[in-house]
Amino acid sequence: MRSVAGLGQRLMADFTTSTHRAKWIFTPQDLKEKYKNANKRAKQTLEQHGTTQMKVDIDGSFSLVKPQNDAKDNADKHSRPKALKTEEEQLLRAFYEFKIQDVCDAFKFPRKIQATALIYFKRFYLQWSVMEHHPKNIMLTCIYAACKAEENHVSAEELGKGIEQDHQFILDNEMLSLGFDLIVYAPYRALEGFVNDLEEFYDEELVQSEILKSLHDSAKMEVDKIMRTEAPLLFPPGQLALAALRRSCEIHKVIDFDRYLKSMLSRQHPSHANSELRASMNTIDIMVNKLETPTSKDVKHIDRKLKSCLDPSSHEKSKKRKHRSKESSIDMS
Amino acid sequence: MSEAVVDRYEKREVLGEGTYGVVFKAIDRKTGQTVAIKKIRLGKQKEGVNFTALREIKLLKELKDPNIIELIDAYPNKGNLHLVFEFMETDLEAVIRDRNIFLSPADIKSYIQMTLKGLAFCHRKWVLHRDMKPNNLLIGPNGQLKLADFGLARLFGSPDRRFTHQVFARWYRAPELLFGAKQYGPGVDVWAAACIFAELLLRRPFLQGNSDIDQLGKIFAAFGTPKSLQWPDMVYLPDYVEYQHVPGQPLRTLFPMASDDCLDLLSKMFTYDPKSRISAQQALEHRYFTSIPPPTEPASLPRPPPKRESVNSRVSDFNPQDGPTVLSPPRKLRRVMPQREGFDINAQLTDTMDDHGNEIRQTAGERSGQAPMSLDFSVFGMRPPSRPTINSADRSHLKRKLDLEFQLPEEE
Ligand SMILES: Nc1ncnc2c1ncn2[C@@H]1O[C@H](COP(=O)(O)OP(=O)(O)OP(=O)(O)O)[C@@H](O)[C@H]1O
Ligand SMILES: [Mg+2]
Repeated sequence: MRSVAGLGQRLMADFTTSTHRAKWIFTPQDLKEKYKNANKRAKQTLEQHGTTQMKVDIDGSFSLVKPQNDAKDNADKHSRPKALKTEEEQLLRAFYEFKIQDVCDAFKFPRKIQATALIYFKRFYLQWSVMEHHPKNIMLTCIYAACKAEENHVSAEELGKGIEQDHQFILDNEMLSLGFDLIVYAPYRALEGFVNDLEEFYDEELVQSEILKSLHDSAKMEVDKIMRTEAPLLFPPGQLALAALRRSCEIHKVIDFDRYLKSMLSRQHPSHANSELRASMNTIDIMVNKLETPTSKDVKHIDRKLKSCLDPSSHEKSKKRKHRSKESSIDMS
Repeated sequence: MSEAVVDRYEKREVLGEGTYGVVFKAIDRKTGQTVAIKKIRLGKQKEGVNFTALREIKLLKELKDPNIIELIDAYPNKGNLHLVFEFMETDLEAVIRDRNIFLSPADIKSYIQMTLKGLAFCHRKWVLHRDMKPNNLLIGPNGQLKLADFGLARLFGSPDRRFTHQVFARWYRAPELLFGAKQYGPGVDVWAAACIFAELLLRRPFLQGNSDIDQLGKIFAAFGTPKSLQWPDMVYLPDYVEYQHVPGQPLRTLFPMASDDCLDLLSKMFTYDPKSRISAQQALEHRYFTSIPPPTEPASLPRPPPKRESVNSRVSDFNPQDGPTVLSPPRKLRRVMPQREGFDINAQLTDTMDDHGNEIRQTAGERSGQAPMSLDFSVFGMRPPSRPTINSADRSHLKRKLDLEFQLPEEE
């Protein structure tokens, strides 16, 4: 048992020297700024060129997909597609992050892959706007890349088939993968370590193993939720795991989490500021409580807006279509 | 975006070719540093970036240590994936093969210490190298030895994780792999390091089997057929077959020149049962490394001339500088020139004088003895023993195995 807790700790030790920690943990202000910048850039591109879509070459280089001249010329100020707001982008990302978990569940991928894919997805959209790269494609790419990085092979074709998508998209995008920082630390391992440690801590009081198991299970579900918030870009996996464990303890009400936390900190991290850790957990808690799970209905209008950003001709067409249907309805009357 | 990256490196000559593409020398315009760029063809492959390259990138990005090759950058361009490494002058195989080089006990200690340090670091980070052999141990401009070629490396850590046993070039394969073990750990790298240790002492590969069966035969002939007491789990291994009992030889007779400490460490690294085999970290703490002589400073280690700039004995005659005298037995003075390609005497000379202090030392050492005799393999029609790498049959086998392996969930 001790060795498993030790394992969790040693993995954390690796985290301290990882690219994950060095390059992919941010402050809330960092994140805000990045989202704003990506959005601003895409907006400018839209104003200048009438479209935002980026093309991906086989080797991962990007270029703007220039619209046909007529589309551009015809596009006067008013018929131009409207850019997405940052909040709309956020909602769309949230939608596809939920989808990532859906797809991974459908393929029965382990949780680690799900988490890796989610983190790739989040990292990707720190650099790009959804207006530049459609999140549906990036979602698939991230799942594919996560499988590959975790050595859990699934063919792009199979993945594409499984979700009725063109697998060439997946391959075209693979190279985008995030500056090649492919190893990410998910909270599940750390959680396992804490649960084992908890079991040991409560040993003499004979906490039943079924209780611990259901505590662990619901904590995993809490991690699943945390993974869809911004928290993984803000906090190390160990803190995410503890926050999930605390939430799970609150549900089950059999274990005094505070007592455990105090003892764990005094045993393992005597120097760690207790209050700081609690503040992090509280922040994570708030994020989970605010977590949105948009349905396709919720994002439908955003998706339509996105379509016309990516492909202005579709915008024109849809306008004409609308127009025509109006005319016909008039005819009908 | 990628244009800027491409402009950063000024391409120079080709350094070599591996399985996945060409490696060439380049200068990093940003830092002035010399680098080696491995170019991996992407093409319109059905499965995108190839696994080996992806593994190498993925792991090397996380492994930063003085004894691990540094991956400086990775970028795609024109249908190729480019991996930018720090430039390394030579490798341990070239050192071992170069009959012109005498390796003192302190030199050997230094080389194996750096090997074990790199390995211990990998294992601490839960990475198995799985392709340890002298030619994957590169040597930098200051004599530092670094583990390279992480294309077969993997994370371990989950106790029940199953791997393919088709890893390592055969001569470096641990007995548990030869018996088909699927669940193995860092011990496989330690066994390979022991083979490299032995090779440094003998100046030839130690256990040169020509098939997997023969490899086990060679191992048993050296150390004796393992008794079940020595290695209780052996009989449960998938490909276990009973071998006729052979007694093995005392290490002392196999390595007559080695010190007692050296032999003690070697025997602990060559332990049959992977569970009782010494770890890389424990090996570093062995008294061999604190007893005299202390390991040679990397910068003073004898090394062959940098790759592609083949040494010519005339060059050393031009060299006016007096280096420190190297005491070495006369037999080291047999000069062996492995086939190399053209060279430029002037470039060679400047190079030698500028920053390769230890070559000056070497050549000075030669001059203090009798005239070196040129012994060119290509002239005599004999070649150094060719080393088995993971051959193509193994590779396709490996590929199949790995594909199968990928079907299994990795953890949890
Ligand atoms: N960092 C480096 N500095 C200098 N030369 C290098 C470096 N890395 C590789 N090389 C040269 O390029 C050659 C090819 O290297 P690569 O790792 O691609 O393949 P390999 O190790 O020779 O073969 P394999 O792919 O079978 O392992 C090496 O033999 C070496 O000569
Ligand atoms: Mg190699």
